[in-house]
Amino acid sequence: MPRRIALAALSCLVFLPVSLAGQGGQHPDFTGLWTTYTEPGQARGGGAGRGGGTPLPFTEEAQKKVAGYRALIGGSGATPGGFCLGTGMPGSMLGSGGYPMEILQRPEQINITYEAHNEVRRVYLGDRIVPMADRIPGRNGHSSGHWEGDTLVIETTHLVEQVDQRWPHSDQARIVERYRLITDSARTKVLVAEMTLTDSAFYTKPVTETKKWAYVPNGHLLPYECAEEGWRIHLEELEKQAKESKR
Amino acid sequence: MKQLWSLLSAVALVMLTATTAAAHHSAVQYDFTKAAKITGVVLKFQAINPHMRLTLRITDEKGTRDLEIEGHSTNNMYRAGYRDGMIKVGDTITVDVAPLRDGREGGYMIAAVTASGTRFGVQSAAERARERERAEGK
Repeated sequence: MPRRIALAALSCLVFLPVSLAGQGGQHPDFTGLWTTYTEPGQARGGGAGRGGGTPLPFTEEAQKKVAGYRALIGGSGATPGGFCLGTGMPGSMLGSGGYPMEILQRPEQINITYEAHNEVRRVYLGDRIVPMADRIPGRNGHSSGHWEGDTLVIETTHLVEQVDQRWPHSDQARIVERYRLITDSARTKVLVAEMTLTDSAFYTKPVTETKKWAYVPNGHLLPYECAEEGWRIHLEELEKQAKESKR
Repeated sequence: MKQLWSLLSAVALVMLTATTAAAHHSAVQYDFTKAAKITGVVLKFQAINPHMRLTLRITDEKGTRDLEIEGHSTNNMYRAGYRDGMIKVGDTITVDVAPLRDGREGGYMIAAVTASGTRFGVQSAAERARERERAEGK
């Protein structure tokens, strides 16, 4: 009898789903590489991307600021990325996938890296959570997380005002993401995030989006040194000037 | 197909966020609804981000001239089949480009056929449209 119990226990260990075998043990493990998700039977990738859908519910003040920014940029096509600057939240998260997202998960800290522009978010949990007064504002803000059952809830605050992305916001914005794992009908492991952006300075009501990523088995993030091209062009210019000065 | 759409999403992101830093320009100067082929000898090739850079020496009935071409990021091209060493100075290669809107020679490299005949890169908008039509039985 004890041998049977031992065998049953062993088989449970062998078939323990990978998604539950993370560092934390009791929570789903989101560790790995995640790319754009395509619903089974659909030709086009899913996920967020506000290319002309429902207009965002801007306040009058936000409308003016965004219109001012867009008029300034005009038809130049200039973007923060054009200056090797990361998108910032929530665009960094909602726009990831084609350039994949890597998650490394530990019980006290989860690092999320978006390949494009190497944007890194560090999500602190439990005792690692940084006190509000010690947080430094930035384009991706400051994130803390906690678990509600199998759902990881990430709250992001300390964002700087950004009118230069698809989801403009003020420095008062608060973003809540709720992450969970599902398996679709094609047995693909899918990470789902439900995002709510609350910002009474910029929006008359909260903005919500749902984003999905597909797991890439044994996938690897690639290096992305955005400034290398600019540096090489600069060196070529210097070489050209040096040659001209010798003449 | 999933990988293709992932790549195309990344390409879209490049168009939105990752244009050349030093030149501070966007990709609006290229017409991504059109495709053209350019064959030449590689004078310079840089597999970097956010754009691959290539100088090709073209020789045809108009004479010989050098064209500077930029293209998708090395990361996107890697996921579309590019590997280190595939393009070397002195190679004769053919690149698929989205041509410049103003009619000048050159374009934005979206794919290439290397000296050994290996192809890497993404489909043009026209190729994608043809594929959709085939799939829909048109």
